[in-house]
Order: sequence, then structure tokens, then C-alpha cells
Amino acid sequence: MLDQQLVNALSLGCVYALFALGFTLIFGVLGVINLAHGAVFMTGAYAAMTVMARFELPLWAGLLFAFAFCGLLGLLIDFLVLRPLRARNAPHLIPMIATIGVAIVLNSAAQGLFGAENQRFPEGAISNDTLQWAGVRITVLELGIILFSFVLMAVLMLALKRTQLGRALRAMAESPKAAYLLGINVEGLFYLTSFAAAALGGVAGVLIGLYSNAMSPLMGQPMLHKGIAVVILGGMGDIRGAMFGGLFLGFAEVLSINYLGSTMRDAVTFGLLFLVLLVRPKGLFGTLQERKV
Amino acid sequence: MRQNFLKSALLAFAATAAFSGAAAAAGTIKVGVAAALTGGAAQYGAAIRNGFELAASEINAGGGINGNKIELVVADEQSKKEEVINVFKRLIFQDKVIMIFGPTLSNSAQASNPVAQAAKTVVFGTSNTADGITAIGDYVFRNSVTEADVLPETIRVAVKNSGIKKVAVFYGNDDVFTKSGYDNFKKALEDLKMPVTTTETFAKGDVDFKAQLTKIKASGADAVVLSALIAEGAPIMVQARQIGLNVPFIGGNGMNSVKIFDLAKGASDNLYVGSPWSASNATPENTKFIKAYTAKYGNAPDQFAAQAYDALHIAAQALKNVKMTGDIGAERAALRNALPDVKWTGATGAFQFRRAHDKAGKPAGFDAQQTPIVSVTKGSVFVIIK
Amino acid sequence: MMEALSTFWVIHSNLILSLGTNALLALSIWLTLSCGMLAMANAAFMGIGAYTSAILTMQFGWPFPAVILAGMLAPMLAALIIGLPTLRLSGVYLAMATLAFGEVVRIVIINTELLTGGIGGIAGIPTSTEWWHMLLAVVCALFVLWRMRRSKVGRAFEAIREDETAAGLMGINVGANKMLAFILGAALAGLAGTLNAHLTFMIDPKEFGFDRGVEILTMAIFGGIGSLVGPVLGSAIFTLLPTVLSPLADFRLMVNGVVLVLIVLFLPNGIWDPARFKQWFGRKQGART
Repeated sequence: MLDQQLVNALSLGCVYALFALGFTLIFGVLGVINLAHGAVFMTGAYAAMTVMARFELPLWAGLLFAFAFCGLLGLLIDFLVLRPLRARNAPHLIPMIATIGVAIVLNSAAQGLFGAENQRFPEGAISNDTLQWAGVRITVLELGIILFSFVLMAVLMLALKRTQLGRALRAMAESPKAAYLLGINVEGLFYLTSFAAAALGGVAGVLIGLYSNAMSPLMGQPMLHKGIAVVILGGMGDIRGAMFGGLFLGFAEVLSINYLGSTMRDAVTFGLLFLVLLVRPKGLFGTLQERKV
Repeated sequence: MRQNFLKSALLAFAATAAFSGAAAAAGTIKVGVAAALTGGAAQYGAAIRNGFELAASEINAGGGINGNKIELVVADEQSKKEEVINVFKRLIFQDKVIMIFGPTLSNSAQASNPVAQAAKTVVFGTSNTADGITAIGDYVFRNSVTEADVLPETIRVAVKNSGIKKVAVFYGNDDVFTKSGYDNFKKALEDLKMPVTTTETFAKGDVDFKAQLTKIKASGADAVVLSALIAEGAPIMVQARQIGLNVPFIGGNGMNSVKIFDLAKGASDNLYVGSPWSASNATPENTKFIKAYTAKYGNAPDQFAAQAYDALHIAAQALKNVKMTGDIGAERAALRNALPDVKWTGATGAFQFRRAHDKAGKPAGFDAQQTPIVSVTKGSVFVIIK
Repeated sequence: MMEALSTFWVIHSNLILSLGTNALLALSIWLTLSCGMLAMANAAFMGIGAYTSAILTMQFGWPFPAVILAGMLAPMLAALIIGLPTLRLSGVYLAMATLAFGEVVRIVIINTELLTGGIGGIAGIPTSTEWWHMLLAVVCALFVLWRMRRSKVGRAFEAIREDETAAGLMGINVGANKMLAFILGAALAGLAGTLNAHLTFMIDPKEFGFDRGVEILTMAIFGGIGSLVGPVLGSAIFTLLPTVLSPLADFRLMVNGVVLVLIVLFLPNGIWDPARFKQWFGRKQGART
């Protein structure tokens, strides 16, 4: 049983990490706790479902559409809401509250357009096959999520560490003003980050939407709460931290269910979270310095 | 009025608020519907509203009630405590409805029903299943069958049919509907002396249930007793089959929905549900209801819609015996006195009320008295087990 | 006309009294914000107050004044205990830690069913809260906070908010002052919870979760935290907005969200912003001369 549980934990951890990657990216670069990320995640799932059902498209096309659609949505949110707040140097609480408003708008729009009933992706969107190896079972989708989240983390980390773009982003995370003086196109990079984070959120929405295949307009809210837990555990704004924080949460949940009983799951999760904050406020794997306000 | 307006905006507002209610067209009976149309319970609220609107259009098309048309005043209570109280007060004192259907969730009913009771206005729940709702007072009615009546029968039939010796229990512990379902399952299992291998929980909005299901599989249960709503229940069944847990499921009220065949496609077989209403129950009343509902809304009805639909028909029977004098207080009291005697056969089968008692044992409101039908899923239909 | 007024009161009394609840909640977070802390445990403190008071009323039959007192003391004690380790955290980390504390409180309530009724909550709470209780509570809270702002403590809070290190160097006991703000905030939230619980017949753990915490913060920021008027005004608008927008039916929530974004965008210091009023007023005078 334990081997199956470890596989369960790995796939659950990667589900959390996948969501948290976009969430943490925005915080790391823009310094905004984006409470609309759950709603963007939901938008991605619904957008992909709609085009896949209407035009009978395969999953890869749905993913691509969700990526583009949510990316543009992220850009729009940045342009209309976050940019004016940056321009007047609002303390970072203010954009957070603005994103609550954005989340309300997106959630109620989805409910208006699609109704509150649970929806699913068209049949056959993904293979239902279960791979079996030494008594341990894993679905194609789980395998896909695990691979994708690790690849995504690696790509993001490489992009941030090795490329010119990444160096510029890191400079901005330290101090947007200094970065600007260094001749970095700060605004452009903020847009890029908003695009990328939302696009990743959209893709996460499709994959996790497929995972339970019972989507609703409010599906992003519980995920957002988990996402917050993940980035605290891993260290806010840290890409590697989001990955490990997700895995940590996945393993903590599965193991507490296995050994302590499922009623204890959330108590263990939040107890751990509280403990981590007290002992290591920067997160278990956090390296990034806290932004000066 | 005009002078009021000039004197004070507040007073004018108060006056319009007070008078607008009285302006009901002659020959209509205003009936309030408080449902959760937005927020977390919106999907049930939507089905409930559809059920009421279908019943109202049928009654009105058939000549109304002694010539009076039913006018539904639908209000969104958002399944929020404060809002549900505000909505009830508006319906009772401003819109002056003769009675209120709702609210959607049991916890909301605990906040709103005392308001209706104090105002001596009938409140009629169609989806509140928790204990103690009808203990609030003698103006509180419901036709939602509490699971205490249904589950023993469901388990008994499932045990007989599938040779079950021991079960695992799985339920949502942060939702009143699924938690009260669990309490009743627990009691029924104790009464039947059925061994329980393990009891597991999940939370609303979870997407992964494999850790609990793996544990249930290892516990060697012959069946899983599941108190869940369809949003979590469907993925639970799919994921159970994925990890090779192929035992039957015994579901509560929340699982009694044809939505399961869509959301859990390919993994929906072998789910037992018990309820007075079944999508496969081919009585003339139910067939007519399902046909009319599907034609009007383009999707199949669920239990929430069926209970709402029946509820308005039940109330209509009582309203026939209420003299419309224009004195809303007297009309409300007359309705209260006429309602307990109604017997009606609708989509959910034969129905009558049963007196409920409060904690002190004194007679209070009225619960539903109905016979459950147990069915099992097989190839995208509910098959009724006789 | 008296009749019209009394009808108005019967219909809207609950809404009007929730103005009071929300004003107290907004003031409770204003207290910690005015001391430079973003603590988001107010929903949890409200819940602790609500549950303590409801249990004392229902199971022990305490008189209402004693219940109110206990409903304020219990969250104060909780604030003292969790404040010791958490208040040294800064910025978002404090916010996150206090939010996590709120989740812990919610889970504890759900899992101590014998005492708290679990997820079903406590129903049938007598409605002891009268309109004047609420009014008195808000007026007292405003008076105390107003006096405090002008006192040594108030100036200490302000100094800490401006620059914690400098305040420390000036000889202000930063830790003690932060703790004071945190505990007083908890008392106000507990008071709001107590009065609200004895107004709405029932309480359940869902009311005191993440959403409520965010809502409380939003009300304060929305109104503006530069003065005491801001949180009260913000909470009032935030409470009335859904009702005012109710004719919009299905679009109500969406408009609510848009309004929130617009206010954040165009009124940087919240709705109540004396500096902006002065600017407007000044400009008008300038035009006349």
C-alpha cells in the first residue's frame, strides 16, 4: 500500500506545484499576491473545455488555447489594474485587494456564461489508461502532470538563472528602480511575467480540471488556498520552492491520511504551515530576500 | 408620498418600500422562493428555481388556484447567513408573500426559519435535510426526505443484492449536507450491525481522493458507503476504479443525479442510491415531470428539481382551501392550517406530512413521509431494485 | 408615517445591524494596520468570540453582559498566545501566518463537534442583541480609538508604522505596542462576533474562514485607513453594495467586483481621504477668486 501512496503523493504534490508555479512567479517579480490566480486557473479550464467541445479539438489544441487565452487575460489584468497601481507606487496590499475584485468578476462571469453546474471535458480528451507496475497504478494524466511540472520548473529556473532575461527579472525583483536605471525595460518585463504566469495558470487549470473532471466556476478558490500554503512552505516568490513546497504538501497530506486518518489532514497541513512560518518565515527552501517595502 | 420625499429621503424610501408590496395585481397569489442562485450552492439553487418555475407554469396554465394565478417572487439568498435573513424579511414584510420556499442549505435555514416562524409565515424547505430544522416551530415544513428514513433501506437492499459483509465509509466533513448524511449512515450501519473497516473524509473542492481510496482498498471493504455531492462523488468513483477499487458504492441523497453518468463516464456502474425520487421511476407523474422539465430547460432534472416541483404542487393543494381575503395575516394562518392535511402524488411518489417534534418532545413543524426507491447504476441508467 | 418607518425597520433591521458588526470588524483590523501590521486573524478572533459567547449562552445560561465580556476576553487570550511568536514576522509573512491560524481555528471548530456542533454550527441562539447594544458598541469603540489616537500609545503606533527601527531607537517598546494593538483588535473582533451571533440565530465555522478575513481587510482599505471614518464608511458601503445592486440580479456580483477594482484604482487612499477633499475644496475656492 505504501508504494501506491507514495505515487499518489507524488502526483498530488505535482498538482499543487503546477498551480503554485504561476502564483509564485507573479509574487517573485511583481511582488503581488495575486488572489485572482485561482480565477485565471478556472478560466483556462473553461476556455479549453469550450473550444474542445465546440470545435472537436484534441487536448493539445485545448492546452494551447488556454495558454494563449489566459496569457492575454493576464496581460489585460496587468494593463488595466496592476500597471496603474505600479505607476503610483501603491503598497502591495492594494494590488492584492484589486485582484480580489478581478477574481469576483471572472468567477461571476463564468457562472453567468456556463452556469453553476459541474462540467467536464469532452469524452476521450485524454486516455483513460492506467499503467500498472508491480501493483502500483498510475494514470496517463498523472504521469503527464508529474513530467510537465518538473519540466516547467526546470525551464523556468534555467530561464531565470541563465538567460539575459532572467538576470533582468532578478534585478527587478531586487529593485525595479535600479533595474530601470540599468536600462532594463521594466514595464515590458512586468507584462511578460503577467502573461507567462497567467498562461501557466490556464494550462494548470486544464490539466487539473481533467484530473477531477467535474469543473465549476468556483474551482479555483480551494486551489488558491492550497497554492498559498505551497508558496509559504516553499518560500514566496521562489520557483524551486513552489515545486518543493507542492511536493512537501502533497506528501504531508497523503502520509497524514495514511497514518493519522483523513480528518487530521488539514490540521496537519496548517499546523505545519504555522510551524514553518515561525521557524523559517522565508519558507523551507526560500532563498529570495524579502522585498523591501 | 411626495411630501414625504421632500421631507426626508429616508422616509420616502421607507414608504415606497412599504407600499410597493401592496401593489400586487388582483387575482395573483405571491409565493416567495429563497434560493442560492449565486455562491457555493448555486448549482442546487438553479435546479430548485427551475423546478418551481415549471410547477408554477403548469398550475397557471391549468387555470391557477380558484382562478388566481401564482406569482413566484424569486430571491437570491447566496447561501450566506446575513443575506438569507435579509431576503426572508424582504419577502415577508415588503413583498408580502403568502409563504416562502427555501432556503437551499440547512445552515441557512437555521438562520432564516426563526424569522418566518416569528412572522407566522409558512416556510417550506425542499432541500434541507439536517436534523432540527423542523424543530424550529409549527410554521416550518419540508418535503426533502431526511436521510434517516432512506439510508437503512438503501443499505439493506445493497447488502442483499451484492453480498456485502463489511464496508468502508467515506464522506465530506466540511459540508452540512454530506456530514448529516454521514451521521445517518453511521447510525444505520450501527443498527444493522455492519462492521466498518475504515472511515475517511475529504474536503469540498478536493481534486485528488486516491490516498483515502488506497487506504479503503487496503482495508478490504466489500463496499464504500459514500456521503458526497456529485462534484466530489463523481471523481471519487472514477479514481476508485483507476486504483483498482472495484467494489460497489452506496451513495446518499447527493449522489442521486443523472449527472453521475456524464461526470463519471465509464466508471459510474454499481452505485446504489435510495430516494423517493428516481430518474428511472416510470410512474405517470414522474414521466410527465421529466419530459416537461427536459423540454423546458434542455437538461435532465435532478432530485432537487423534483422536490421543488412537487413542493409547489403540494402547497397549491392547500392554497385551494385558503380564502383570499386580502388580509395577509389571516391568509397565512389559513395556509398553515390547511397544509398538514395535504396528500399528493407527484414526481417523488405518494407524499404526506409527518409531525416533527422539538428537543423537548413538543410537536413542532412537519417532515416528509415517503417511501424510498432503491436503485443501482448500470450502463448509464438507474435500475430500480424491486 | 410612523408605520412606514416601523415597516422599514422590520425589513431592514438586520441589514442595519450588520452595518454595526462590519464597522467593528473594520475597526479591529484598522487597529493593527495603524500599527503597521498586516494581521489577518480577525475572522478567527470573531469566530472565537462568537463561539465562546454562543456556548456560554446556550450551555451555561450566562447573562448577556457577562457573555459579551467573555466573548471579548477569549479572543484577547488567543491573541496573546499566538501573538508572542507571530508578531515578530513582518509584511506578508505575518499575514500568511495569521491566515494559517484562522484555518487552524476553523479545523478545530469542525472537529470538536460535541462542543461546537461541528460543521452544522450552533443553532437556536437567542437574539439578545438589541439595536442599542450595537450602536453603543460602535460608539464606544470609536470613542476609545479616537482618544487613543491622540494619546502616547497612538503616537507610538504611528511611529512604528512609519519606521519600526527608528521607533525602537526612539525608546518605544515596539513589541509591547504591537501586542497591544493585536490584542485590542482581537477584542473588537470578538465583540463583533458576539453581537452578531446573538442576532442571527445561528453560527457555523464557514463564516469565519478565509473569505471573511479577506472581506474584513477589504472593508478597511476600501474606506481608507488614514482616519477612523474610513473603516466605518468602507464597511457601510461594502455591506450595502450587494443590497443596492440587487436589482441587477445575475450581474450583481460582477458589478460588485468592478466597483471594488475601480475604487482601488481611482481612490488611492480609500473613499475617505481628507487630503483629496481639501484638494477638491481648495480648487473650487481657487476658481471663485
